[in-house]
Amino acid sequence: MWGVRQQVSTFYEMSKKTIVEFSRYPIAFGALFVQIFLIIFMFLFAAIAFAPPPDDPNGAGVGSRVAGVMIYGFVINMFLSFTLWEIGFSVREEQARGTLESLYLTPASKFASLLSRIFAILIFTSVFCVLGVLLVHYMVGGIGFQNVGLALLSLLFTISGLLGIGLLFAGISIKLKESAQFLVSGAQFFFMIFSAQFFPFSALRSLHPAIVDYVSAWLPVSYSVDLFRSLLIGLPPGYPELAGGNVATEFLIVILFGIFSPILGYIVYKYVERKARKDGNLGEF
Amino acid sequence: MPSPIIRVEHVSKTFISKERKKGEKKKKKAVDALKDVSLDIYDGEFFGLLGPNGAGKTTLIKCLTTLLIPGSGNMWVNGFDVLKEEDKVRASIGCMLMGDRGLYWKLTGRENLNYFGALYHVPKPVRTKRVDELVQLLELSDFVDRTVETFSSGQKMILAFAKSLINDAPILVLDEPTVTMDVPTARKLRSIVHDLHRQGKTIVYTTHLMHEAEELCQRVGIIDRGEIIAVGSPAELKASMRREDAVDIEGIFPANVVEDLRALAGVHSVMVKAEDAGRSKLSILCENSRVMLPRIIEKTIGNGATIEYIKPQEVTLEDVFLAKTGRTLGIDTRQVFGGEAKPSGGGG
Amino acid sequence: MVSRGIGLSVPGFRADLDVLATVLIARLKIISRYRGFLVMEALLPIIFAAFPLLLGTAIGGPNAGANFLRNTGQASVPDVTSYYRLYMLLGACTFTVVTLMMWLIGYWVRREQETGTLESMYLAPAKRFYVLAGVTTYAFLRSMLIFFIALTLGSLAFGVNPLSGNILLALGFMAAGFLPLWGIGFLFGAFILKIKEANSIVQMMQWVVAFLMGIYYPVTFFPPLMQYAAASFPPTMMNDGVRSSVLGVGYLFGSGWWVPFALLIGFSLVLPLLGYQFFLDTERRLKRKEGVGQY
Repeated sequence: MWGVRQQVSTFYEMSKKTIVEFSRYPIAFGALFVQIFLIIFMFLFAAIAFAPPPDDPNGAGVGSRVAGVMIYGFVINMFLSFTLWEIGFSVREEQARGTLESLYLTPASKFASLLSRIFAILIFTSVFCVLGVLLVHYMVGGIGFQNVGLALLSLLFTISGLLGIGLLFAGISIKLKESAQFLVSGAQFFFMIFSAQFFPFSALRSLHPAIVDYVSAWLPVSYSVDLFRSLLIGLPPGYPELAGGNVATEFLIVILFGIFSPILGYIVYKYVERKARKDGNLGEF
Repeated sequence: MPSPIIRVEHVSKTFISKERKKGEKKKKKAVDALKDVSLDIYDGEFFGLLGPNGAGKTTLIKCLTTLLIPGSGNMWVNGFDVLKEEDKVRASIGCMLMGDRGLYWKLTGRENLNYFGALYHVPKPVRTKRVDELVQLLELSDFVDRTVETFSSGQKMILAFAKSLINDAPILVLDEPTVTMDVPTARKLRSIVHDLHRQGKTIVYTTHLMHEAEELCQRVGIIDRGEIIAVGSPAELKASMRREDAVDIEGIFPANVVEDLRALAGVHSVMVKAEDAGRSKLSILCENSRVMLPRIIEKTIGNGATIEYIKPQEVTLEDVFLAKTGRTLGIDTRQVFGGEAKPSGGGG
Repeated sequence: MVSRGIGLSVPGFRADLDVLATVLIARLKIISRYRGFLVMEALLPIIFAAFPLLLGTAIGGPNAGANFLRNTGQASVPDVTSYYRLYMLLGACTFTVVTLMMWLIGYWVRREQETGTLESMYLAPAKRFYVLAGVTTYAFLRSMLIFFIALTLGSLAFGVNPLSGNILLALGFMAAGFLPLWGIGFLFGAFILKIKEANSIVQMMQWVVAFLMGIYYPVTFFPPLMQYAAASFPPTMMNDGVRSSVLGVGYLFGSGWWVPFALLIGFSLVLPLLGYQFFLDTERRLKRKEGVGQY
């Protein structure tokens, strides 16, 4: 009914709206910037607290390698967090504000509305990530910047996969309403720990191997994290840590994640949305 | 004449907002919400504040109830200075603000009433009894023990109204209380408010609905663009219009009725329109149909006429507002018809 | 002008205490009706403590404890592994108390604005002081509950014993830190009332506090000027006092426990009054500008 041109134009307007909204909250933007850097500093200082003495032969390069593992995992964490909150929870915020029903009164694609959010957010997130990586690189005297092309390719599929998770949570948020906030927070922390976003999987394995074998290894996000950072730190011995250390296997998993996750997420979202419209509680707070 | 229980003297309030137009820098814009407003509301009176959206009704109410500090002027409520004796002013007023959202969603209706009762310093045993009384009066028992998040919007409004009665204050301020209510609920609320007034409460009732003001209020203050443009009883305000009223009477009239009516003091003109089967319709232009109608009926029947139908068209408060401001009370009406507002009522 | 009674209102000290109690009980009822919220809150400190522990294990391997001891300037402790685990756990738990207090007190007015109940509250004659007292008492009870639950569960998860050190002194530091926290909460609340983007500022401030408190590391890691600033921050003193008392190690400023404790008491006298005054000034300014209900 509405041509591609119109749809693209609507998508552009929605993205513009998100960017304009952000630009009217410069303090929020600055606060986010500060927040991210403080988190990085805190983890760096924690890492310094456990650093081996300079004369320890086994300690050579451990610090900068773990710093690289930490910051590159943090990059995935940033994209995951933004996706969960800006897509997953934003639907709930619209519901609470009362604007969700208004949105549904328009013929504009709801999917495009969700996508337009992340399109704008991706830009900001990418800037923050680059600055964060540079900061850590400077602080520890060098982390890896190898295999950048492959790493960015894996990141692309990762973002697509995370989008699917965001859509999944958007659907769940419509259904769960108030409890959605806890679920989204819980999911964020779950992935932080079990996808080892701030530390190597070896740390989890040292607690109990079963944690990695029976939990982490079943999460596609774990492979995204592992592949991305292993590539960038130059695939040192022991990396990647999952899939038997096989880069090709991890790449395959990440690609499949990137393709099927958005499809599954969209299906779940549409199903829950349809049910809410049928039950009449789309706008219910 | 009873003494004022609320006195407003030369109160003004200006808001500064930022205007953002495309292609231009942000500009500060001053909005005069209240301009030198002075008003007395008497003890035991049912006072209406009538005006369109954005007239300043809510701003004036917020100043009276201490939520907003005016830019200048003085106010007293129940003998207490609004600026210097805030707590006593608050204790003197039960208030329901427009679109009142002031309920805790995770508390039940009863818990909300208990909570606010405590904030109004109502002692616990008295509070418990008072809550039970309100539940009975407003028929809340079906839902009062559920959390507010499960209430319909009408139920929330009724509970908000109950909240305004919790301390049984001598003054009740209601800011457009029926604006989101359905017709039966609104009717019930007006009936209860009317009863409360009869019990001796002073009621300050803001509305943009003319019929509410006419139906309920003993005196009405008409406010527009921050200024009080007229104060008086609905009858006084309408009488101040000095307009002709029109009365249409249908029936069977002997020949001499028309002449006798024309000779009646206060009748300006009588037009006759023949209907079928011997019936006629008389269109009478007169002063103040409320006063003239009994005389017209007496004269007509006295001459042997048979009256079948009477339709007086009297001046309304909307006409008063229109005459004073050149606009109607309801913007919606103007939008429906488009262009200039069409005055309603009267022969003019 | 005529004056007619004030209805059923009976002002007085008894009524004021009734306000405090009612506000406290209402808030406890409200939080008890959010399923899973308290559970999530109690788990958060454990999760926060787990991150640096796992990072530390990855860096230090079997020598993580020894590295930590050396880098934090401690000579020796009975159990090195317990030391750094408890260090992180106590830091995370104390941080949770601090942020809860700041959030529940500082964000209180904003939250009431969002839900629309602020105007209803301001229409009532209840003295602001007693309403705030109810809110701060609630914040205190909730944060202490979370602290003890998180510490218990975390101790079981990490296999540490938090009762090994000077518990009384640790509780003393906690108690001494509460009044300054109230004051900081009020200052924070006054600041939030002035700005639109309150949520983002609160989130950022949480991390500023976590950073300055040194929940994962001693503040001696900072450059000198920043060290003194961080050390003078009441939550840092509170965190260090609790931690050092339980772990049996040195206190801030290289002194005995009495120096940071005395400083905390000093802050207790000044900060609450300062914070409350700021809060009232901001509130009054709001009432002049746009009214308290505007959100």
